[in-house]
Amino acid sequence: MALLEITGASVQFGGLTAVNEVSFQAEPGEVRALIGPNGAGKTSLFKAIAGEEPLSAGTIRFQGAPIHDLTPHEISARGVRRTFQNGGLFGELTALENILAGLHTRIPSSFGGLLLGTRAAKTAEKNGTRKARALLEMMGIPHVADQWARDLSGGQQRMVEIVRALATDPPLLLLDEPAVGLAPPARAELMKIIRRLVEEENIAVILIEHAIEFVMTVCDTLMVLNNGELIAEGPPEEVRRNREVLEAYLGR
Amino acid sequence: MKLTRSVFWLLPIAALALPLLVNPYHQYVVNLILVYVVVGVGFNIVVGNLGQLAFSNVAFFGIGAYASAIFTTQLGIPWWLTVIPAGVVGAIAGCAASIPALRGVRLFYLAIMTLAFGELMRWSYIRTPALTGGSMGLTVPPAELFGWVLESETQKFYVFLVIVVVIVVAVSRILESRIGRAFLSIKNDERAAAAMAVPTGRYFVLAFALSGFVVGIGGSMYAALVGHLSPEAFDLVQLILHFAIIMVGGLGSLVGSILGAVLITATPELFRDWPGFEELMFGIVIVIVILFLPRGLASLLARVHPIFKDRYLRED
Amino acid sequence: MLSLLPQLLVSGIAIGMLYALIALSMTILYRATTVVNFGHGDLVMAGAYMVLIFMVNVTLPFLPALLLSLAALFGFGYLLHRAFIWPIINGPHLGLAMMAIAIGYAVRGLVRLEYGSEMAKMPRPFEEQFFFAFNTVMTLDEITFCVVVVVMLVVSYLVFSRTRFGRIVQAMFQTQRGASLVGINVRLFNNLIWGVGCALGALGGVMLGLILVLDPDAGVWTLLRGFAAMTLGGFGSLHGAVIGGLIIGVLEKVLGTYVSTAFIDITCYLVIIVVLLVRPRGLFGQHATLRI
Repeated sequence: MALLEITGASVQFGGLTAVNEVSFQAEPGEVRALIGPNGAGKTSLFKAIAGEEPLSAGTIRFQGAPIHDLTPHEISARGVRRTFQNGGLFGELTALENILAGLHTRIPSSFGGLLLGTRAAKTAEKNGTRKARALLEMMGIPHVADQWARDLSGGQQRMVEIVRALATDPPLLLLDEPAVGLAPPARAELMKIIRRLVEEENIAVILIEHAIEFVMTVCDTLMVLNNGELIAEGPPEEVRRNREVLEAYLGR
Repeated sequence: MKLTRSVFWLLPIAALALPLLVNPYHQYVVNLILVYVVVGVGFNIVVGNLGQLAFSNVAFFGIGAYASAIFTTQLGIPWWLTVIPAGVVGAIAGCAASIPALRGVRLFYLAIMTLAFGELMRWSYIRTPALTGGSMGLTVPPAELFGWVLESETQKFYVFLVIVVVIVVAVSRILESRIGRAFLSIKNDERAAAAMAVPTGRYFVLAFALSGFVVGIGGSMYAALVGHLSPEAFDLVQLILHFAIIMVGGLGSLVGSILGAVLITATPELFRDWPGFEELMFGIVIVIVILFLPRGLASLLARVHPIFKDRYLRED
Repeated sequence: MLSLLPQLLVSGIAIGMLYALIALSMTILYRATTVVNFGHGDLVMAGAYMVLIFMVNVTLPFLPALLLSLAALFGFGYLLHRAFIWPIINGPHLGLAMMAIAIGYAVRGLVRLEYGSEMAKMPRPFEEQFFFAFNTVMTLDEITFCVVVVVMLVVSYLVFSRTRFGRIVQAMFQTQRGASLVGINVRLFNNLIWGVGCALGALGGVMLGLILVLDPDAGVWTLLRGFAAMTLGGFGSLHGAVIGGLIIGVLEKVLGTYVSTAFIDITCYLVIIVVLLVRPRGLFGQHATLRI
């Protein structure tokens, strides 16, 4: 049983087919990159996995259970976490509070407990804060904890967003163009972090990315989407030599 | 010694001595301020924290006030026992007002809808005279508890002060927890909030219900304070008053709600003889705040000392 | 009872014409700047008050008073956008909505300061007359509404489709950024659009002044009918606003007569609530809700 199992998934907008009968599986401990020209259906496929777009056909199973009929927050609660292409951080919250928001389901304080100020509720909140600080520390950015998220640099925002997505130790992480807008050193740093997560924590990562050299070095499996169809899947070097891919995507 | 938020307890303690210093009319204005502290705190939950443009607040206020008055006059229940039920009725109205939001109605669509809801409520106060006294209004008898009658402004002040302290403490506990963060995350980016496993629909209902509950209690206090309810008290001048309180005080700030209520409530009383002046003035004040101080006066205070910040993370 | 129906349709359409005009003027502002002008009702009524002031206090005849009133509201709309909307146009929606509300309140307060809560009546430009045809009666007022609004619709259709100004406006409705890229002064155009929108609304207000007693609170009455028309027609749709307005006008009369007089007051509230709950995009609008 694969961690994520997509079978014949299609997404339609009106008469337009954005994703056409895509099937693949993702296993723990691997990075899968999803590339393709603009409008190929990459983001639609991501949204379908995250529950933001309904499937018109097919199934998506996560840890053996179908998830394509669940709402985004239910899917997230099961352990599929995502980042956003641009600005998914909560700008009015500090970096620390952003991580705390990511920990939402892991802080067991109840409405009644908070209202009455019970010890259990207070402890739960404090433990959450402690854990959030520890996470920022682990990623090497404890100094940004109390700054407003909107005031952070692009690279810091991306880091905080990844920490926030990882706060609950999800088995599957979806990254939507993580390298866009990052300077080369920040990209290298990001690449190291992704590889470390996959190798040490044994999670699965699926990412959409345009920066081709970044993709080639970071991923184990490369998937190419064109006109909503999955036209190639395999190790990056192999896919690179695929003629169909060259024609469709690289235009050579 | 480090200054913490516990110094805020000095405020209600100092306020205990207030009735010694003021005459009954000023005491009435102070009581009105306490009513609007509750209203501002409740309103800010939906607008400032959840970030939704909802005009239903005057409806919650009116529903709470009429609920209290109707329970008292029709069922003969003493006012004391109607405060919580008025809040519950307000919370039910809040749940009702969150239904469109659950259906995905947002932004100005929600604003228009809640505006229509508010006007529909005001219309129904006029058109159901058997319950509400229609446009003649409804007189609320003074509250009584074991022979002690809540009649003088001073007595009302102490009762209101207790209610205000309880509500402010309760709401601050909620807003500074994961629940408050869930509200704010929805305000900032609803899609990202859902991606963090925040059940956004449930928090919409919770925020509206909480707001309705608090503002409903404010309505109940208002009924006890003025003693006579008339439909025109719940018109759009009332709405601009509520908006002015949270905008001037500071959106999403509990300190701001209180500050706004103190500064804004007293002014209509000063300009009683010039109808229209308060609308004109509040209009201009809100314009100035939006242009030059979008986070209200509370943001100025927060620069003075961190205890005035919107949120205050507890950790040791 | 059914014999009343033609009459109800006729008077419903006549009043619906005014709702249509008001909804159309709000839709134009919305399409150009994506700002919903919550103060629009008060500006509409300000149009009628201006005519009142020019006729009573300045003792002008009706026509110059009307033209001055429209010019004043055009100028007000222009300045309103330039000074208060444009500076925060990229800010949160909440601020924009509050800005419009606050300005509406300020205008209403100004009116109330002058006229108090007493009702004022706009002087009539012509005597009321009645025309009978096919068992229905139409007042001269109603005929005026229909003629003026139809003329305005035809004119604005021609302006939108045949002139350079109209084509630029249409381009701006599509994308403001694109418009600024091809060298259009977006700010100036939006200023002008706000001027036009307010003047159009004011024209509606002046016509309402023929049949309504002026009262500062009439702004909200107007606003909600404009909203009801826009919501029913579909937000942002120009022809939707017109058709929505006509339907609301007829519904008020028909429900008010056959079901209960209460519906004269509450039809617009119910239409807003029901449409947004059942079919938020209205008759002709784009999708309006979030998938959650």
